Amino acid sequence: MTGALAGLRVLERSSGAAAAYAGRLFAVCGADVTLVEPPGGTQLRREPPFVPNAAEPSALFTYLAAGKSSSVCDLATAAGRAGFDAMLATTDVLFDDTPVGERAALGLDPQRIARDFPAVVFVSILPFGAFGPRADWRATELGSLHSGGEGYLTPNGLAIERHPDRPPVKIYGQFANFQGGTAAATAAIAALIARPREKGQFVDVSVQDANVTESAIALQRWADGVLETRATRSFRYGGVLECQDGEIEVLTLEQHQWEALVQLSGESGWADSGDFDDSLERSRRGAEINRHLRAWAKRNRVDEVVRRGRELGVPIVRYASPGEVLGDVRARARGLFANVTLADETAFPVLLAPFQFSATPAALRSAPPKLDERRREPAHV
Amino acid sequence: MSKPLEGVRVADFTMHAAGPFCAHVLSLLGAEVIKVESAMRLDIFRRPHPVYGRMDVSPFEQVAANKLSVTLNLKEPRAVELAKRLVAISDLAIESFRPGVMERLGLGYEELSRVKPEIVMLSISAFGQTGLDRSYPGYAPLFGAAGGLGYLTGYSDGPPVEIRHVMDHSVGMTGAFAALAALLRRRYDGRGQHVDLAACEVASALIGDALVAAAFGEEPARCGNASETMAPHNVYPCRGTDAWLSIAVSNEAEWRALASVMGRTELAADPRFRTCEDRLKNVAVLDEIVAAWTSSRDADDAARELQALGISAVPSWNAAQLANDVHLRARGTIVDLEVDGAPRAVVGSLVRFSKSSCGLRSGTPALGEHNDYVFGDLLGISRDKRRLLERERVIY
Repeated sequence: MTGALAGLRVLERSSGAAAAYAGRLFAVCGADVTLVEPPGGTQLRREPPFVPNAAEPSALFTYLAAGKSSSVCDLATAAGRAGFDAMLATTDVLFDDTPVGERAALGLDPQRIARDFPAVVFVSILPFGAFGPRADWRATELGSLHSGGEGYLTPNGLAIERHPDRPPVKIYGQFANFQGGTAAATAAIAALIARPREKGQFVDVSVQDANVTESAIALQRWADGVLETRATRSFRYGGVLECQDGEIEVLTLEQHQWEALVQLSGESGWADSGDFDDSLERSRRGAEINRHLRAWAKRNRVDEVVRRGRELGVPIVRYASPGEVLGDVRARARGLFANVTLADETAFPVLLAPFQFSATPAALRSAPPKLDERRREPAHV
Repeated sequence: MSKPLEGVRVADFTMHAAGPFCAHVLSLLGAEVIKVESAMRLDIFRRPHPVYGRMDVSPFEQVAANKLSVTLNLKEPRAVELAKRLVAISDLAIESFRPGVMERLGLGYEELSRVKPEIVMLSISAFGQTGLDRSYPGYAPLFGAAGGLGYLTGYSDGPPVEIRHVMDHSVGMTGAFAALAALLRRRYDGRGQHVDLAACEVASALIGDALVAAAFGEEPARCGNASETMAPHNVYPCRGTDAWLSIAVSNEAEWRALASVMGRTELAADPRFRTCEDRLKNVAVLDEIVAAWTSSRDADDAARELQALGISAVPSWNAAQLANDVHLRARGTIVDLEVDGAPRAVVGSLVRFSKSSCGLRSGTPALGEHNDYVFGDLLGISRDKRRLLERERVIY
């Protein structure tokens, strides 16, 4: 069996995580993805987090580039551009995050690509898109998270209760960029589906747009007359609870789940009076409920309350560390990780993909490429 | 211009947020999405949500605009048969029940693939269709917690953080990609398939780099807004209430430019701040200096000033600011949709195509608004038969 996107050829010019994540999604689905790098390699090879003792020091690059090949093309030179064009001639999708103002000089002008390579789906991925008054603005991950609205709203719950005066805090890693990359990969396939009708086309993806779209419930609330803030957005009760040996998340949206939580935590009898039977009343008295839940959690251990809670039907999980995710029996059984071997023969697990296809399974076919390590495969779609 | 997914029909059996957002993305790209719901158990947005503090129903354009709504009481065998007929004229079926529920309803993949062998079915669940935890329920904060994203998010000395709707919607966006990948594959081999998307695994995919580090024995931890390679790199207070500016300085030239804008050119030569390594060692003092400068400034003005110098400076925009943002309006990302005679700011499109259009056709449908079109025009059920099925609470 081959991947869902086997036979597609992709060129990826990425200096940031958004374009690289789009390429990764294609690669794990079987597309032949070539990372087109400048001399010296993409900036992503030098991005944190780092694993100092590994043959490939950037864990981010390892994660994003596994399964791809590499070709060095200096687009500042005529020879480099000619080599790039030769690859484009057999390419289906080009992912590119070159700033708009730099594209023409590098031969990446969308009109030129459309004229010379009419079948190519050219997906531009930039922090604010390729069109609009802020198309030339820069944004790192931190800026992109705040450009989309979610930065303003994070954290909530226990963290904002504890630290109400602190600045907003970012979501870990490359969250905003990965959303931009997923939107780009999705849009690329939509354009491929339309290709018999439209041929190739230019697709303008903005990381901001993707994140605004994903955080649009705040927009909906604003249109309802409620401006959400970090403090007002918290769930009225439940959320992060600290146990003796770690944290758990509890969220009961349905009545039967609440009743199960009462059963789980009701050993002290605080909820026996029936005062909290009504969901609206619970919402009004959330702080009081939280005092009880937090005191209860502090007396217990994570594994025990999660086990008992699940038996009772309470939506409850542990806040899992990366090490715990990596060692999770459930995840391993589902094949969430694939083993990758670096040049120094170090073998280690890398998350494969968060989806499973019944007929065309995802796969990681190789370690992250060394600079200019070419593995291009023949097209067969 | 046509839409890229014009001609693609989706039978949408999803509820809550992740699944509905997935189908919504497909609708923005041009698919005809038919939302199957029921008066027997209203969608969470069609009823109050007290835990969230929302005491009223809400239009839920962010996951429902563009869709068609039909009502089927799937506890009725005749409704299940209608659902199968709907799937038979669809390309994609998407569902987000707990694993096993679709099978119990008689709408599992095995059954649907008998009805239509080339159907692509996407199942979205908390922990996946297989494995030890498949039957456990979940919501966005639980996905983030179980997947590791919640653990790594937060202040370095604070608790983990609940990842909210963007967690759901990240799952939905990933689902849209996976469903379309399977649909594109079908074009070449004619085969349908079942796609299993586990929400907590989407959260894990968002920390894939930290998982690589953990595999090498590292112990990634919460680090607030700090960066290993950039300083300043934080969110700084600005003039006004709850107004903030994110600033990320990625090289020495940007640092010198920032120092100059702040009127503190001497800082560039200060041994505490000369190199990035120096600044990272003295980041607490550095943050105080930058915050002292930003606190008297308007966030947007300061961002424009810094962007002109090539520095990544982006205000922390709230929903009201995004709704009225000139750039987003120019791109068509935010548009006004008329709802009950008044304009509402909504997301109008996700991406821009040079040859295809993308975006909204309509707002949130009323419950069962398209029963006549879907059951009458598409499935060919007579008006009298439809009314009978309505009276008998099959179409309900």
